[in-house]
Amino acid sequence: MCEVTATFAAPTTLADVLAAMAAGARPVAGGTDLVVGARQGKKPLPPSLVAIHQLDELRAITLTTTGLRIGALVSHEQILADATIRATYPALADASAIVGSHATRAHGTLGGNVMTASPAMDTGSPLLCFGAIAILQSSSGTRSVPMDELWTGPGRTVAEPHELLVAIDLPALAPGTSSCYVRLEYRRQMEIAIVGTGAQVTIVDGVITDARVAMTAVSATIRRIAAAEQALVGTSGDRAAADAAGAAVSEACAPISDVRGSETYRRAMVGVIARRAIQSAVTRATGGTVPIPASPALHGAS
Amino acid sequence: MSILQHEAAPADYVRSDGHGKVTGSGQYTADLSFTGQAVAKFRYADHSHARVLRVDVSKARALPGVYAVITHDDVPEVKYGGMVQDRYLFAKDIVRFEGEIIAAVAAMNDEIAKLAVSLIEVDYEPLPAISDFVASMDPSSALIHEDWETDGRADELGSNRNTLGYSTIVKGDADAAMAKADHIVIGRYTTDPVQGVPIEPRAVIAQWQGNKVTVWSSTQVPYAARAGVATTLQIPQSDVRIVVPLLGGGFGAKCDFHFEGHIAALARAAKRPVKLVFTRHEEFFAIGHRREGMLIELETGVMNDGTLVARRARLVLDKGAYCGEGGFFAQMAAMHACGPYVLDTVNVHSFLNYSNNQPSSSIRAPTAPQVCWALEQHMDAVARTIGMDPVALRMKTLIEEGAEGPTRQVFDYVGMKDSLAKAVEMVGYGQPLPDDEAIGIACGWWPCFAVESGAYFKLNHDGTGTIVTGAQENGTGSVMAMPKFVAEELGMDPKDISILYQDTDAAPWDMGSSGSQTTFNSVRAVLAAAAEVREQLLDAAADALEAAREDLEFAGGSVSVKGTPSKAVTIAELAAAGTFHGKGSGPLPESPAVQAEGCVGRLGMESFLAPQVFTHAVRVKVDRDTGVVRIVQVAAAHDSGAVLNPIGANGQVYGGVVMGIGQALSEGTILDKDGKQRNPGLLDYKLVTCSDAPPIDIEWVGRFTPDAGPRGSKGIGEPPSVPTAGAIANAIANVIGAPVCALPMTPERVWETIQGCAK
Repeated sequence: MCEVTATFAAPTTLADVLAAMAAGARPVAGGTDLVVGARQGKKPLPPSLVAIHQLDELRAITLTTTGLRIGALVSHEQILADATIRATYPALADASAIVGSHATRAHGTLGGNVMTASPAMDTGSPLLCFGAIAILQSSSGTRSVPMDELWTGPGRTVAEPHELLVAIDLPALAPGTSSCYVRLEYRRQMEIAIVGTGAQVTIVDGVITDARVAMTAVSATIRRIAAAEQALVGTSGDRAAADAAGAAVSEACAPISDVRGSETYRRAMVGVIARRAIQSAVTRATGGTVPIPASPALHGAS
Repeated sequence: MSILQHEAAPADYVRSDGHGKVTGSGQYTADLSFTGQAVAKFRYADHSHARVLRVDVSKARALPGVYAVITHDDVPEVKYGGMVQDRYLFAKDIVRFEGEIIAAVAAMNDEIAKLAVSLIEVDYEPLPAISDFVASMDPSSALIHEDWETDGRADELGSNRNTLGYSTIVKGDADAAMAKADHIVIGRYTTDPVQGVPIEPRAVIAQWQGNKVTVWSSTQVPYAARAGVATTLQIPQSDVRIVVPLLGGGFGAKCDFHFEGHIAALARAAKRPVKLVFTRHEEFFAIGHRREGMLIELETGVMNDGTLVARRARLVLDKGAYCGEGGFFAQMAAMHACGPYVLDTVNVHSFLNYSNNQPSSSIRAPTAPQVCWALEQHMDAVARTIGMDPVALRMKTLIEEGAEGPTRQVFDYVGMKDSLAKAVEMVGYGQPLPDDEAIGIACGWWPCFAVESGAYFKLNHDGTGTIVTGAQENGTGSVMAMPKFVAEELGMDPKDISILYQDTDAAPWDMGSSGSQTTFNSVRAVLAAAAEVREQLLDAAADALEAAREDLEFAGGSVSVKGTPSKAVTIAELAAAGTFHGKGSGPLPESPAVQAEGCVGRLGMESFLAPQVFTHAVRVKVDRDTGVVRIVQVAAAHDSGAVLNPIGANGQVYGGVVMGIGQALSEGTILDKDGKQRNPGLLDYKLVTCSDAPPIDIEWVGRFTPDAGPRGSKGIGEPPSVPTAGAIANAIANVIGAPVCALPMTPERVWETIQGCAK
């Protein structure tokens, strides 16, 4: 017989949400991945859903003693409108500004983007560059997971099924630090990264003392590229250094060929995009301006 | 002022379907529901080419909540199709593309219908899938339709094995002329298939009452849908009524008879109303209706002064698995390989080949955007070869009044050169630009189609009126503008005139929304019907005012004596006292004379009635490191004859240009080796978004055109999407120094071309 059993709850307290998850429910926030995926037939909706949109305490962006805490329910629009993020963590604003469409950005949350764990997600590279920490909470406790340990494969994380991502902590940044996220996009809305790169540099007296470079959509998970970072440290972040770092990213990537682009094209493009992200991060770190989002502004950049 | 005392009239017209569409109160087919209605789902072929050995629906039929499951065994043994009847509603022995329908299920709800579909057991013997539509014409290729010689198709098609249609355009001795040319320029171009992608996925609902069936369908062509239901179910057309609620676009993809027969048969079996609503995925892979992929080989003999002495071409078009209504494509493509140019000699061969790909049929200006894209790049190559500016070459060789076309049609005034001059002026051709920007131009043509139509117009007793038309509103506003035209004839307010449309029981046969011909033909009929009512009103007013008919005039909702406005009678007063109704068709314009004796596969396209001619000039900015192209500006100059409704006409150009940009840069269906679609969805079949749309400037260079559409008009629906890709291609080539010879010109293809140049 054709019985469909499904449960849906929308508690108003975190404790109730965590209890529901402990009982097997899967969380839904903005639903922009979950519902669209189910409609497309990629993945059916889980039989038991707990909606977390009523947990207003997860919707805050808060300055803390160690940096900035972004609640899991903070939407991309909120990120884009936040003055602190735009000034201090601009790569995240670059990323949130180009996720999906206006509707996606209004509904979609940072927590959902992170926990969907798509290798093509836009906010991942910036968070890796920042050294962000995911705060996972369950009925039995809370733990912190560095972002570079969170993703284990496409759609997979280290979170236990009963653990909810409640916040992401961004560490305070050293003076002279700024960042940029750039993706290769074929159109200006409703796009998914063909390749993308996040970059963050700290520049002291004209010299890069710390560099972070992470790549998107060219390996099973978003990850940092040590060789690219090493190519930048100790340099002024000029074109030659950015080229060398870009080449290191091209070397390190492991793209697939699919309808969005061939392996050859992706490998070449991630180098170009990395160079642009690095150069824009350097521009920002040295007092220059690159518009947010950076991607459309960098069309045709040399 | 309106008889019904509306607010003051707007500057132009307000379409009567606008409010409902904008506010969401308007009803599309999927919005309708009926008591007891069942949900329909199809079981599709699991292969693109296979012999069906066994279909067992017993488990699906036994599932509680399933009302009916039908297959080929449950419908008459009848083939359907346009010029070739080559398809059954449900696969009989062979499936020929991935969207072929094996069975249909009617069930209580979506979930049960899906489960039932999965319970249908089908055994196949897989056959080699022939996706390569060029290779399919090889004499050694397996046959896709084994009975092609005996299925009754017309000789004019020139069918041969997997070639459904073969056409040539032959003028003079091209081989001899080519041998004497100063230069011979050769080009080879390929294009991917393209989808129509209307925003409304199609929906069909069927309900039987006794022996009569009513089908609500999101179709562009309700009368073709009616004929399809009648043919496939073997019932009279008088027992089939097709009603189209609001239609959410079509772009050609909703032309032709598609699923109305399946759902009518299913509703009869289920003994209840049955509703089909496609998913976006089905809207891609299951519809037998998309723009054809092509191989285009062009060769031009040119003299040093730019005279085009010879054109040879070989075109191969992908028909896909079935004919549908696209049987004429070979000849239409051949005409576009000539283009609106003066050519001393011509020898064009065009093949329309079956494959195991999704069937192709008319999408907005079928065959034209691709061939125009290739030809206009080829023309730029010709100009480069002789060191002539591409605008100067076109200005020398484009058709004008008195010129002779490829089939020796002699043209009256056409604004071809005027459109080029205007587009070039608007875009600022020749201005200094940054080194990553350039301008490209492309010219093109498209015929008007003269087709029978019929309409009624009647006055209601309060002086309002109702148009009854078979025309189909596809979103263009062409039906919505009819009250404006009738009102102008009768001195009425357009708001006082309603429209009964999209109901095959109401109006005479109409071709539907296709071929840029709704205003051209259906308005002609409506105006003829209104003219009859005008005569009736003149008689009545002459009596009422005791005046001579020739002294009367229509204005402000009244009939009055010229020069004596006080001596008047309102249309409302006349209507209350009599019966006023007219019918009309109007005289059909005749096809221009041609001398096309040397051409084979003549299906009527050799004569271009009232040609719509046009030039687009596009400025692009190319990201050389990534191959991503941005459109900076588009200038579009069109000759569509006299423009009757500027809002509607401009709307067609805006939309056509944006569609053209998509076809140029990002829209292409990607097939695997078996002809299955790899990107059947909106994430990876990339339409252009509003954010990508550039500024678009429009100029109309047409004039009143005799022997054309009503009031000297031509069509406009299809042409705006024709030349945009060619203009973009030429602009890209001007930046990167080489042509991109595959369409769409995706970033990766542009980048590969740049890499090729660097080597």
